[in-house]
Amino acid sequence: MTKRRIVIGIRIVTIAAIAVFALTTPGFTSPISINALLNAISFIGCVAVGMTFITLTGNIMSLCLGATLSASALIFLASLSAGILPAFVLALAFGIIVTAAQGLLVGYFRANPILVSIAGLSLLIGGADLATGGQRIYPGGEGLQVFKGRIAGIPVEALYFFATVVIGQFVLSFTRIGRVMTMVGSNARAATAAGINTAAAITWAYVMAGACAAVSGVLLAARYGSGDMELGTGYDYTAIAAVLVGGTAIQGGSGSVVRTLIGVTVIAVIEVVLLLRGFSQQLQYLITGLIVLAVIMLHTIGERR
Amino acid sequence: MPDGPPILAVEGVTKRFGPNEVLKNVTLSIGAQEIRAICGENGAGKSTLVKVFTGVHQVDGGVVLVDGKPTAIPSPLHAQEFGIALVAQELSLAPALSVLDNIWLGNRKVPLFHRRKELREQARAALEKVGLGDLPPETPVSQLSIGRRQLVEIARMLTRDARVLILDEPTATLSDVEIERIFSALRALKSEGKSIIYITHRLGEVFEICDSVSVLRNGELVGTRPTAEIDRGELMRMMLGRSLGEMYPKWTNMPGKRMLVVEHLSVPGIVHDFNLAARRGEVVCLAGQVGSGAIEALRALAGLVAAATGNVTAMDQPIRLRSVQRAQRAQVQFISEDRAGEGVFLNLSVAQNLVANCLGLHSRFGMLRHGDLREAAAKLATAAGVDLARLRSPADELSGGNQQKLAFGRAISGDEPGVLLMNEPTRGVDVGARAEIYRLIREFCDRGYCIVMASSDIEEVLGMSDIIVSMYRGRQIATYRRGEVNQQQVLADITHPAAAA
Repeated sequence: MTKRRIVIGIRIVTIAAIAVFALTTPGFTSPISINALLNAISFIGCVAVGMTFITLTGNIMSLCLGATLSASALIFLASLSAGILPAFVLALAFGIIVTAAQGLLVGYFRANPILVSIAGLSLLIGGADLATGGQRIYPGGEGLQVFKGRIAGIPVEALYFFATVVIGQFVLSFTRIGRVMTMVGSNARAATAAGINTAAAITWAYVMAGACAAVSGVLLAARYGSGDMELGTGYDYTAIAAVLVGGTAIQGGSGSVVRTLIGVTVIAVIEVVLLLRGFSQQLQYLITGLIVLAVIMLHTIGERR
Repeated sequence: MPDGPPILAVEGVTKRFGPNEVLKNVTLSIGAQEIRAICGENGAGKSTLVKVFTGVHQVDGGVVLVDGKPTAIPSPLHAQEFGIALVAQELSLAPALSVLDNIWLGNRKVPLFHRRKELREQARAALEKVGLGDLPPETPVSQLSIGRRQLVEIARMLTRDARVLILDEPTATLSDVEIERIFSALRALKSEGKSIIYITHRLGEVFEICDSVSVLRNGELVGTRPTAEIDRGELMRMMLGRSLGEMYPKWTNMPGKRMLVVEHLSVPGIVHDFNLAARRGEVVCLAGQVGSGAIEALRALAGLVAAATGNVTAMDQPIRLRSVQRAQRAQVQFISEDRAGEGVFLNLSVAQNLVANCLGLHSRFGMLRHGDLREAAAKLATAAGVDLARLRSPADELSGGNQQKLAFGRAISGDEPGVLLMNEPTRGVDVGARAEIYRLIREFCDRGYCIVMASSDIEEVLGMSDIIVSMYRGRQIATYRRGEVNQQQVLADITHPAAAA
């Protein structure tokens, strides 16, 4: 018990230290850097919220969410001519279908989640290459403002991200399927014995993940006005790092979307601070990696009794 | 017993974890050629004491003596050097490797380049001592029964020159034949001069195999007695600090209408043509050892066995096997014997565990109704005797007995009384909590539940049931009404039934 308190103490001190470090960094509180920070948090954050569901149900991580993001962005851009709302719905549906199919394989056929996601990744990249001929997509079309710009000084992307967080946490805390997802992650065999349809719960977790990745894809597509399959490269890894830094257990059964929000923020703040303090790109990667490792080790030690 | 200083002893040993004193001024000693039982309820300090002996924990007061000399055992590795070896409850053998490899695995005496033949001879000698002389050392461990694996584990300790073997609940998952094997191995080792510390919940084994017994209660040593000088009642009084009174509740049986009818239930290779009718307010016991099919029959009825076939009717409605949801819809609930693996969500709160089976009842349009859930959890906790103050604690902080009550509470969360299928309801549960679970079972019978339980504990079978079905290798041997049968007959049925031949 005392050990747990010490660990909680260390966590608070760590976050306070990062906050002090950030606030004393020249230019951190300038509108430009806050804006950049919020954007970074939003794009990666949506994917991380989606990843939370996969991790929480005991399926470790998906290596396919970045590609799902890119492919949804392409679908969104390609169908913009039909209007912005249909394009958004289409992108969302696409993201959901792609990951739900993986969820079915993992849930009903007990396929290994990592291998399934790698297969999904390669199918998406191959499929997209065939469909676009490897070209970037530059659509014409109006109305992208819905997904960028500002409302009351806050970047619209951030608003969409916070909506994602609220919906995600609502699903976990207040719906039956959310509670069931946590139970499946905690002990899949006990869930089966309790009469829970574990396969359905896992599929729903993947549906949530796909929807979140698609939202991120649409936001990125709107921001750049163009897209290719490179758009989401590396997002899987940053997202799982954020989930773990937030303190969701890698073995599943314990965690929340709010924790992931904290994890994403911590990582993004560290990156911005390092950038502002003039560290080279290589050093930024190195230091971020070390800090992420340290925080995750802290959780691991805290969980051991 | 030969003279000379005791092999292993503690004097005035105290151990604290934070504010809790888990061992208080404990003094006891184990001599050469002695089999010493250590008994006590869960939380009495047995495993802490073992961890002091094996160098996992360091004492906060008092001394540990090896061969009569005060000795520090700073780590498990040092314990190994002093010849103190723990035969773990959860086996630590590598299943894919051979018996020979497992015996030498992690042994510090084996150099990088070694003479395989010599090691083989030594392994063979060790295997012979534990009664496995006929076992080819090349056999992969995965092909051995759990009982034989336990013997291999003991042989492995012997090759490390163990003088004191510590066995922690070695028989919990074994059949009677395998238990007898372990016992004869232990007797042989004793006659060779080894000392054995034997930790068990099963009082019968204390009198069968042990020379003396030390009883711990709340971290204090109640006393050490030669087993020849005390009886079961006395031992229980020492463990509980009071007389147990009646372990099993008294009841008058008023069975109602049939709630569960099973015809021709089969699981290929495991259960053959199982038939059963159980009435409201009745306890039906399937008595059988590991491999008898009793546990698997109940799992099949719960919808957890994919290969199960047969006709099952619950509450006059036919239910289709192979689906837990369908069983639950017919008010058939299952309580697993494997609490950590299948029974309890260890990292979720007690309250979340209690309502796990009734989320549907307390949600609307897919939304949980948290107020209702809180009420339901409190109600179920009260009904199953779970401490209301612990509703928010994670379930893994509860003792085995309390986790079992938790599982019980979960199973009674339906709208109306139904059928409860319980596998080994008191496995790993201490004596005090056991009586409470028996009382709960009868209480729910009175409320109109029908209880079907599988058990390998014959005392429990005779003490609890209205109807006893003895099973052996997947077949029903006989069915008795309460009072029609004695312990010897049931034991004969489940070990070497005449009818099975």
